[in-house]
Amino acid sequence: MTKTQTKLNLQSNSWLVRILLLGFLAFMALFILGPLIWLAIRAFVTGWTFPNLFPDGFTLRWWKVIAGDESLINAIKNSLIISPIVVIVSAVICLPAAYAFSRYEFWGRKTFIIGIFAANAFPKIGLYASIATLFYTLNLMGTILGVIIIQVLGTIIYMTWIPAAAFSSVSRNLEDAARDAGASKIRVFWDITLRLAMPGILVALVMSFLAAFDEAQGTYLVGVPTLYTMPTKMYALVLNYPVQISAVFSLLLAIPSVILITMARKQIIGGQLADGFQIK
Amino acid sequence: MTLFKEVTAVESLAVKKTARLSLLGFFMAMPPVLVIISFIGAPILLALAFSLGFITGPNRIVALIGQEIYPKTSWWGTLDAFKSVINDSRFPGDLKTTLTVTIVSTTLVIIMALGMAIYQRIIGGRIASILVALSLVPLFVPVVISAFALRTFYDGTGFLKTVFYHIGLNFPTLTMTSNAVVIGVIWTSLPFAILMISSGMQSVPDALIESAQDAGAGFLRIVATIMIPLAFVPIVIATTFTAIGIMGSFTIPYFLGANQPTMLGVEISNFFGPYNRPQHSVVMAFIIFSAAAGIAILYIWANIRSAHQSGRI
Repeated sequence: MTKTQTKLNLQSNSWLVRILLLGFLAFMALFILGPLIWLAIRAFVTGWTFPNLFPDGFTLRWWKVIAGDESLINAIKNSLIISPIVVIVSAVICLPAAYAFSRYEFWGRKTFIIGIFAANAFPKIGLYASIATLFYTLNLMGTILGVIIIQVLGTIIYMTWIPAAAFSSVSRNLEDAARDAGASKIRVFWDITLRLAMPGILVALVMSFLAAFDEAQGTYLVGVPTLYTMPTKMYALVLNYPVQISAVFSLLLAIPSVILITMARKQIIGGQLADGFQIK
Repeated sequence: MTLFKEVTAVESLAVKKTARLSLLGFFMAMPPVLVIISFIGAPILLALAFSLGFITGPNRIVALIGQEIYPKTSWWGTLDAFKSVINDSRFPGDLKTTLTVTIVSTTLVIIMALGMAIYQRIIGGRIASILVALSLVPLFVPVVISAFALRTFYDGTGFLKTVFYHIGLNFPTLTMTSNAVVIGVIWTSLPFAILMISSGMQSVPDALIESAQDAGAGFLRIVATIMIPLAFVPIVIATTFTAIGIMGSFTIPYFLGANQPTMLGVEISNFFGPYNRPQHSVVMAFIIFSAAAGIAILYIWANIRSAHQSGRI
């Protein structure tokens, strides 16, 4: 985004506005970050008696409890196995389509696009209940395949539109020039189109992985009680375990998000993600 | 003349080429559409039939497993399952909670997002960037963690309760109330609304704002007559998507809301799982769908317009 040069002379320098703004900033910081920090501290405390301002003591005991709990370890394993599969399946299904939407004119193109929007226009939980009804018949309830299907559905929008926008932004002139210089079609696609669209595709992969890894509502309806992933295990943890265990598990669950987002931060905050969201 | 012939020959070749490519494009675009038809389109049609009492064919198994199933009584089905849901004493409260939370939270989210996006666009500066960056944080936090974090933050031993206790005031316990659900859905919906609206605002040309300013237009006038109309489509997408998302949410009301009345999302899940009343669950899903239908049409319309504008269709 180009930095805006426009500055209206609205009392933006007045101290009253400044104070109000700083007040709002403080409120937003507390509103957004407060709960996350409040939760993160819990992962390292022995207990916290109300109304003390400080916890009773610090410990790493809860991390060991998690390492020793087989059902929790299983949930972590399931998540780590299922999410990459979902991303690969979704990429195989959607990336060619993304290229087609961006580059080809074909019969039914408009209908397809409307269909993909429409799929996203159903309130999620109602949609999952409908899908689960069909899954009983297909014998997919409580199976890994069923969970994979549910999670792939949540990634289609990222995996189709972000790369489609990325492919569209590759200049055709560049491709034509390479063709004129004698490069083969495959070579042009591989060395120019794909390479230039790569940042967008990477953002799509990251967002899809996170969408799959964090998907809770549909996985809960279809997988539980036979198959738990990390997010669905949280439902049980929050209601039945000490708060510190859930806090530790939350931190573990947040690790992939933090790593992936930090890696792809520039592209995500910059245009790529917003481009894809245009059509989400 | 020969030249002309050559040109037409090349042109016809080009037409042929696009036609061939079209077919290739069609097949390349097919897979995600097929997935959507089989796992979203088909289930929704089957679920509609199930809610009307069609319990044979693909709906046979779920009808066998579930309890309190109402089979169809005429050729088009029956509304008995719908009547049973609507006559349930819990339903009016649930529906009211769902609609109230959706309307209140969507309004607040859009006002906040508009405020920050307009501020960032017109005045800019470091505070605006920090505000926007802060508001994007929830995008990267799994919703289960957000719900749990908010639950502990606003409960009887939460942060605000603790701080206010030391000042000598009593802060209300928000967890397990609809207020907490509103806070929760605002928390989770804000990033998308901000991304959408601020990217819409950024595309308003500087020249337009400047010339309006030169002509003597005030801040509010610039916002109302230039910025909002020009960013209208992104604003509509943000609003509709936020409303649809809130209406279909489960985790936030499940962790933060009261047990009764609650949002329909929680009831759908309860009726499907623990209560084993899948038909009721599907009926409620269709009640939410119909409540969302108007919004959904607006959402799809806005998306298509935005795709048109960016030349993608």
